[in-house]
Amino acid sequence: MKVSKVMTAKEAVAKFIDDGAMVMVGGFFHSISYVFTHEIIRQQKKGLTVCAASFNEHVDQLIGAGCVDRMDTSYVGVEVFGACDCFRRAVEKGLPHKIEIEEYTNFAMMARFMAGALGIPYIPINSMKGSDLLKYNAWMGDKKAKLMLDPFGSGFEHVLVPALQPDIGYFHVQRADEEGNCQMWGILGDAPWSVRACKKVIVSCEEIVTREDIGRDPNRTILPGYKVAAVVHAPFGAHPKHCQGCYDVDRPFISKYIKEAKTVEGWKAFMDEWVYGVADRAEYLKKYVDTFGMQQFLDLKARDISSSSVNYGF
Amino acid sequence: MTHKYTDFTLQEMMTVAASREIKDGELVIVGTGLPLLAAFLAQKTSAPNLIALYESGAYDCKPLATPSSVVDSVLVPGSAMAGGLMEGLGSVHAGDIDVGFLGGAQIDKHGNLNTHVIGDYHAPKVRFPGSGGSNDIGSSCKRTIVMMLHQKQRFPEKVDFNTTPGFFNGGKEREKYGFLGGGPSVVISTLGILRFDAETREMYLASYHPGVTVLQIKENTGWDLKIAGDVHETERPDPELLRILRDECDPTGIFLKKE
Repeated sequence: MKVSKVMTAKEAVAKFIDDGAMVMVGGFFHSISYVFTHEIIRQQKKGLTVCAASFNEHVDQLIGAGCVDRMDTSYVGVEVFGACDCFRRAVEKGLPHKIEIEEYTNFAMMARFMAGALGIPYIPINSMKGSDLLKYNAWMGDKKAKLMLDPFGSGFEHVLVPALQPDIGYFHVQRADEEGNCQMWGILGDAPWSVRACKKVIVSCEEIVTREDIGRDPNRTILPGYKVAAVVHAPFGAHPKHCQGCYDVDRPFISKYIKEAKTVEGWKAFMDEWVYGVADRAEYLKKYVDTFGMQQFLDLKARDISSSSVNYGF
Repeated sequence: MTHKYTDFTLQEMMTVAASREIKDGELVIVGTGLPLLAAFLAQKTSAPNLIALYESGAYDCKPLATPSSVVDSVLVPGSAMAGGLMEGLGSVHAGDIDVGFLGGAQIDKHGNLNTHVIGDYHAPKVRFPGSGGSNDIGSSCKRTIVMMLHQKQRFPEKVDFNTTPGFFNGGKEREKYGFLGGGPSVVISTLGILRFDAETREMYLASYHPGVTVLQIKENTGWDLKIAGDVHETERPDPELLRILRDECDPTGIFLKKE
């Protein structure tokens, strides 16, 4: 029997997320670990470089809380919901402090993760050519991207982007076992490359299952346990984001955050209520039910559209 | 007195115009909002064999309800494939996708798009989300359809930040980069339809939407906009198309504002 990696979010963040670390934040709109995001804020982690292909309002909360010094990404927004105003205040007004952003495209970030995951130092891409993304850089200087004439003779220059190997990554999945074998379905987003690129990963999950359960559907495993340092059981751990087969996105709650974060005072009030004012995810969920009622909570639950099973026999 | 399927909004006009740009059987990467509705509408009318995919990795989706975003869980059950960004944008990057939809804070005379900043990059007046998949789609889709709110500050002669290159300074400049994609083929704005001259690659007005004048469009454009010799009113949406758009594509009004 291998050693169990199961612990609380509080323990996992305290143990594995160091001030000043480069942290990969997993999830593409879908299945984002709010458990870890809120715990990082409560533990007041500082000087983080956060990276992701694209960021939503979760990074806005990290920025507003002063945890972030640098961002390595392609996008900070929430589509139709509106702007991320902590992000805007940081860039436009230096509040709570100025942040540096190294900007790529969504695909370029994925290519950098893929290169990192495969141990390739850099990778040529078709995107970014001729754009102002090549004109501006932050802390990486001219090492952000390079142009190279195709050595195989196409006659064209290609953009080379460097591999990314973040110190630590965190993400949320439907199920994992105690060794950290992670299974995910639905919109996979940045997975598996973003998590595979990290030196270590901490994972939150809707359900902890047995190693035998994982073995019944091994093609569903998105990250092998050897990469994983901590497994945290966190039902509704992605709320207000969705998690396929478990619960839907909570649009009114995201809109509420976006609306209240328009001013610094509004943002503080929201965070005092929903992050600083609760000890952990269990308290957060209890507060949700107390505030909005059990019916609204249950309405988020996913209906059953189960897949057929496959035969793994031999 | 309003007639249920003869009066229409400019939003509906834009969606119908965008759906007309898609040919049957094409592979289309769809963005949230009107592009999503345009693809649905085309699928239900003129392009039943189009295949819609989303950058999140969902491919050939048959959603049971209108998705509110390109990462909505409703896209997954019934889709032919649910992958990730590397699958969705990977197909784009490989040059496999016929049509991509784009939008932005600014578009200029030669179809370059800005989704980064208004003003100086280091001290911006307004900061926008950034590229996301926009630059990837603009670089490698065979052609792109751009949908824009038509205002003077959004149609400058030159963008403040070139997030997603169109034709750079015009002429053959795009060709020297060896992009897999051909660049923007049309701009569908809230006021009219604009295309690009085959030689100069400068944007010109092809048609004005019903109720809009050419002068109004010129006044809302940041350079001396050229007008096509055969400029005409944009073809009005057929009542049956409007019915399908409202009642089947967006019955709960997620994207189409109710009057």
